[in-house]
Amino acid sequence: MRKLAMALALQVAAAAMTAATAHAQPVRTWGGERTPPEPSSDAPPAPTAPPAPPPPPPPTTVGTPVEGSTRPEPPPVPKPPASKGNDDPQHTAPAEPTTPTTEEEEEARSQAIVHTPGHIGLRYKLEGVEVQGNTTTLSRVVLRYVRFKAGDTLDVDDKELSVTRFRLLGTGFFRDVQLSLRRGSRRGYAVLVVSVVERNTIVVNDIWLGLSADAEPDGRARPLTAYGGLDVSERNLAGTGITLGGAMALADRQLALRTRFSDPQFRGTPWMANVELLYNNAKDFFGNRDALVDDPQADVRQDFAVAAYRRFGGSVGVGHDLGTTTQLFLDYRFEKIDANLPRAASHVRGRDVEPIDFHIHGGSSLISTLRATMVHDTRDEPFLPTRGTHMALLSELSLSPLGTDYPYAKVQVRASHWFPLSWGHVLRLEGFAGSIFGDAPLFERFYVGDFTDLLPDRVLDLNFDRRAAPNFLDTSIQEVRYGTYAAKVNVEYRIPLYRGTRSIYGIDLFGSFGIYGLTDDLNLRQPPSGYSGFSKVPIDLTFNAGLRIETNVGGFAFGIANLVGFIPVRSEGN
Amino acid sequence: MKPPLRFALAAVVALLLGIVLPGRAEAQEASPEPSTAAALPARQANFAWDKTRLIASFSYRDAIDAPLTQKLSSGLPTIIAMRAYVMRQGEDTPVALAVQSCRVVFDLWEEVYRVTVTSRGGVRDQPVLNVEGVLRQCAEARDLPIADKSYLRAGTPHFLAVRVDINPVSKEMLDQMRTWVSRPTGSTGIGPSDALFGSFVGLFVRSIGSSDRTLRFRTQTVVP
Repeated sequence: MRKLAMALALQVAAAAMTAATAHAQPVRTWGGERTPPEPSSDAPPAPTAPPAPPPPPPPTTVGTPVEGSTRPEPPPVPKPPASKGNDDPQHTAPAEPTTPTTEEEEEARSQAIVHTPGHIGLRYKLEGVEVQGNTTTLSRVVLRYVRFKAGDTLDVDDKELSVTRFRLLGTGFFRDVQLSLRRGSRRGYAVLVVSVVERNTIVVNDIWLGLSADAEPDGRARPLTAYGGLDVSERNLAGTGITLGGAMALADRQLALRTRFSDPQFRGTPWMANVELLYNNAKDFFGNRDALVDDPQADVRQDFAVAAYRRFGGSVGVGHDLGTTTQLFLDYRFEKIDANLPRAASHVRGRDVEPIDFHIHGGSSLISTLRATMVHDTRDEPFLPTRGTHMALLSELSLSPLGTDYPYAKVQVRASHWFPLSWGHVLRLEGFAGSIFGDAPLFERFYVGDFTDLLPDRVLDLNFDRRAAPNFLDTSIQEVRYGTYAAKVNVEYRIPLYRGTRSIYGIDLFGSFGIYGLTDDLNLRQPPSGYSGFSKVPIDLTFNAGLRIETNVGGFAFGIANLVGFIPVRSEGN
Repeated sequence: MKPPLRFALAAVVALLLGIVLPGRAEAQEASPEPSTAAALPARQANFAWDKTRLIASFSYRDAIDAPLTQKLSSGLPTIIAMRAYVMRQGEDTPVALAVQSCRVVFDLWEEVYRVTVTSRGGVRDQPVLNVEGVLRQCAEARDLPIADKSYLRAGTPHFLAVRVDINPVSKEMLDQMRTWVSRPTGSTGIGPSDALFGSFVGLFVRSIGSSDRTLRFRTQTVVP
């Protein structure tokens, strides 16, 4: 009972803190939008003052006043010209025209005011750009995002000024950014002042908590174990704009660590640079049924064959914008793998006893790959988008000239499109297709748990669960754990429940439904025996429902699928 | 219960409490947003009939708070856009709309505010000496033509629902901004794990909003 209660509590919290979906909100004329600026989480709380009474209306001066209106005021008496002794010393009468001292000043002055019908524009010669308010962030980091430079002619209506402000806010380094101008040293000249208010830049990228069904190192199945993980970044390391991040995932006898550096503008160029180190102490579970493992101690029938392996290595990469919505990344990865495998193992696939392929070399091996990733993103919001597309195309190559023991090539594409519905809800269509050619290690193969919502996803390449796919359609999907060909189509429907501007930005109820397929060359060449007709096709259904909550510390998804996944369907016990 | 399991349970409960409770507390602190124009905070306006045309005078000087007052002198333009919707009591669809927008930019070298007021009556440019003058020109509606009597139903109370936006951001700019914050720089992950980061930066989308500041209010009713 205790276990069940605890499992339920953990389950509610766990359910894949992965990202995802949408929000929808009809345009409202009244309500729903913030009025005062929101205090940041790291800002001191604003004192609560009683609201000031609204200003009285000016009296009407023409026509017949309606009852309840104040009477017209007498015609205004002409006022004397304002003097220097005005209330606000900064706002005084126009300065006396000064005589330009040089031709350059005269030219600057002559082009300072631009008159067009219904519009007066001002232009200045830019004397320089000044950064204020930065205590940690280096000025040169701020200036990277400012496209103006000394000597430019600055039009106060230039849209680039607004863009600059938003670009700086978009870095996540600052709580507020304001631009202003002040007089330069000569008439017609001005200095652009960029005032910033810094904020805490430690970011929680991901949190994982969940329950899985795994196995002991000797292959005995266990009902439930907990797993968890955290991915955190400091996005403005020592004010340099460089990201230092770390991630850790932990489960019973499994550990994954990541450390990464990322410079969004490497040495002032438009190239991003990334370096990552990784360490995984992992185990994985093999054997559909009746696993027989050649154990040094004894040949015994076990529930599962367990492959234990360690990975250590890293990657370096660069990235570049291909426009405002598209980015390209190139990475080189090198790893050493030490695997401890059973000398031999077999299981029942279909009705036949077959040897188990662990998809990893025993002892030490190397892997090195070149990877290209292109991301196209037009979502209107990161976590609860209502419209737009997110598409990621990945290709990876691992060939012998690169010093690898695993020659393979991998191509995959994932695309999502969000549709706002006229009644305020959101529909998301998602598609995935991937293919691997060659001898890819198991952690690079497509894993069935990454496609069904009813099993835990891999976290930092760690696999926590031994179970086969639920198999609602009674197909050969239960014979497939890792595949080299995968596809999935998913539909998600989202209903906005709450929108706010403080700790919780939005809560959406979601329900999703999908169909996926996973197979490999062996299954294509030699389908498992005992299946006929449609059941030979390794496909299955997946679904999920729950809440997506966007908060000021990140987005969270609470789904029921992971819990439902513990209810035996067809594959368990077959 | 084994100690590690107890610890895991405690951690989960703490996480849930940490997420949910502050949000709930703050949600209670926040004043509820009005769902209809009639529920907006009320303020006094002066109405008059200019022959058959309803005109109104009201002030929204409080839309310009201290930081915005300071911003008026930044040398960069400030836009104050006011929309006054004529609403029939008991209905949610406006029957008429009056608008007035004002652009203010401080001339650093002439030390005057260059003000451009655009309304139904046309466009007028004028230099203004101080902030008080700017507020008078840009944060007050004086004898603003609202609607002809023929648009108003005789004997039915009408009121103005007013929305004032300071430096409204264009839809194109908002879209571009949201696109930037949707894409975490340097993320090479093909999965959707960027969501938490995106949410963090998404804070700015919300704190920027669609304008620097928005003020909404309604006036008392007037019966044609």
